[in-house]
Amino acid sequence: MTSNQTTSVTRRLAIGACLGLTLAWPSFAQVAPLKIGALLSMSGPAAVFGIPERDAITVALEDLNSQGGVNGRPVQVIFYDDRTDAAEAGRGVNQLVSRDQVVAIIGAGTGGNVLAAGPIAMRLKVPLLAPVGTIAATDKKNAFLPWVFRVAPSDAVNIRTILTDAAKDGNKRIGVFYQEDAYGKTGVDVAEQLAQSLGIQVVGSAPAPYTATDLTAQAIKLREANAQAIFMQVSVASLGAGFVKAARQVGLNVPIYGSSGLAQKSFVDGVGAGAEGLRVLSIGNLVYDPSPGEKKLSDLLRAAGKVPQGWGELVGTNGLVAAIAAAKSIKGEITGQSMRDAMENLCGLEAYARGKGCWTKDDHDGWREDALVFTEIANGRLRTRK
Amino acid sequence: MLLFTEYVIRGLFLGAMYGLLALPMSLAFVTVGTIDFAVGAYALLAAAIGATVGGTLGAVLGLAGALAASLVMAAVFVLLKRAGHHDTIMIALSSFGLAVAIGSIVLASWGSTAFVRQGLDAVWTVGGIRINPQGPINLAVGLALLAGLTALLFGTGLGRMLRASAVNAQGAELAGIPVVAVQALIFAAGGLLGGIAGLLILYSSGLDFTAGLSLTLSGFAASIVFGVSNPARGFLGGLAIGVAEALSAGYGSGAMTALIPQFVVLLTLGLGMLGAGRYTGYRP
Repeated sequence: MTSNQTTSVTRRLAIGACLGLTLAWPSFAQVAPLKIGALLSMSGPAAVFGIPERDAITVALEDLNSQGGVNGRPVQVIFYDDRTDAAEAGRGVNQLVSRDQVVAIIGAGTGGNVLAAGPIAMRLKVPLLAPVGTIAATDKKNAFLPWVFRVAPSDAVNIRTILTDAAKDGNKRIGVFYQEDAYGKTGVDVAEQLAQSLGIQVVGSAPAPYTATDLTAQAIKLREANAQAIFMQVSVASLGAGFVKAARQVGLNVPIYGSSGLAQKSFVDGVGAGAEGLRVLSIGNLVYDPSPGEKKLSDLLRAAGKVPQGWGELVGTNGLVAAIAAAKSIKGEITGQSMRDAMENLCGLEAYARGKGCWTKDDHDGWREDALVFTEIANGRLRTRK
Repeated sequence: MLLFTEYVIRGLFLGAMYGLLALPMSLAFVTVGTIDFAVGAYALLAAAIGATVGGTLGAVLGLAGALAASLVMAAVFVLLKRAGHHDTIMIALSSFGLAVAIGSIVLASWGSTAFVRQGLDAVWTVGGIRINPQGPINLAVGLALLAGLTALLFGTGLGRMLRASAVNAQGAELAGIPVVAVQALIFAAGGLLGGIAGLLILYSSGLDFTAGLSLTLSGFAASIVFGVSNPARGFLGGLAIGVAEALSAGYGSGAMTALIPQFVVLLTLGLGMLGAGRYTGYRP
């Protein structure tokens, strides 16, 4: 074949390819995408969860769009960093709705930010799909409750599950170590509320700020309270790992339970050999013992060059899957109002995480105990307890 | 009484970390008249590198990273001086900006994972109190660095130049001391000291990308509680704050523990005690 012939064939192939693309493209790509906002804490203290949430939403979006998006219409996610700041979360809702015209928002990144963003979402008539456990986010007293749908198990469910397990093993005197914020304080408050019904007693509690550099004093305090088991309501991996090390150091050798916030790779890596047998409640077990759905998400993340971190990816994608499912169920125009109405009728929803999401007019907590698994640290891994 | 003693000992080990962070701050204040707010960020950077690489090489590279970051601050200091900006608040604000930038770089490069390394597993029982060797090691390193720094300041020619530059920069310049270059060295020393603190925290409790500014604040509180006029007071201040925090966590509700450094800063500044010695002609 001469060089002229080669050029001619190449040219024909190129023209053919262009024609093919032109004919095939309008069916998906030229349809205006459905816009969904993702208001996540991608910087600041809660970036620990916000970054995995963002990464997972990004890879899952590609996967879900490849399956046809919303009835053939592609979905576009517009990210906004709330910087773990309540005021910024409010601004984020405004911008995502007013400028980007999203019809639903996955977020905000923390419980406090959901409480700040809720009234604005209500005013702008766009539902928030909140990947948070904070109980107050779906408190029935909130005027904006109709616009907030939780896409993670609530802290009340998590704490009850942990304390029930501790009580079942005969641990009646519970000490609580918690991080100094709303998430941590909720752990103590709910534990005290549940104590009587579970036949246990909260004998001591010890808080610490996120950045504490020594936690032996807190461990001594709980040791002196004669706690039979420790419940850590902590989501900051370094804080949790630091407390476990301190507990072993001061001779606090009792069972330790970690809240679902600690089901992170960096906690397991950081806590080291002294943590064998430590029990951590987990939203799924994405990193170490994934279910088929979690395995699929894990593979998508790894294919994109990301290392799965824990539950952040699961609750983030719960929000995306819920938003797409709600949009698919809408017959007419997809708006914030119709998305909200559709969310209240969504039930039996399967995402990458375990369990099924179900919301009703009276219950906006989507995922429950079936999303949770008890894990134990063994050989530097979170092994799912059978 | 045994319990009280145990809290005090734990507090001393904790305070050694604060004292270590206070050393470069006191040093910068007595010699340059400003505060390097990036000290906590140097500690964070050293810990991040140390956690990633691990072992002795990790420690060496961590210190090199912290030193490199502090050299950026030293360069900013020199540039500001050469541009005729002698206002010390401008230098302090620049260091604050550098601290934020280092925090962002750590987040962007390492993500949000915690930096924790396993230290020594052994436990000593002394008088009924269980002690992990890491605590005494931290205290010993802090005391050794304090001794070295004091010897440098008061027993060497370089120390004399540093003190002369602090007391009378113009006079020192006329006497042939390269004041700006000598003072720039202080920022580099801050990087090394901050880096050492970061590595010790890495093997003690661990930290994450948010730790930089809070470590700076703890070090700053320690450096001013007994007067910012000399590094020994800064180290002592660190020990005092550590003991106060441990006693508060043990006997109090615990909610006040995190507020102690901030409370010390407010009280000291409110009573006008910051740097009183230096401005009345005190010679460090």
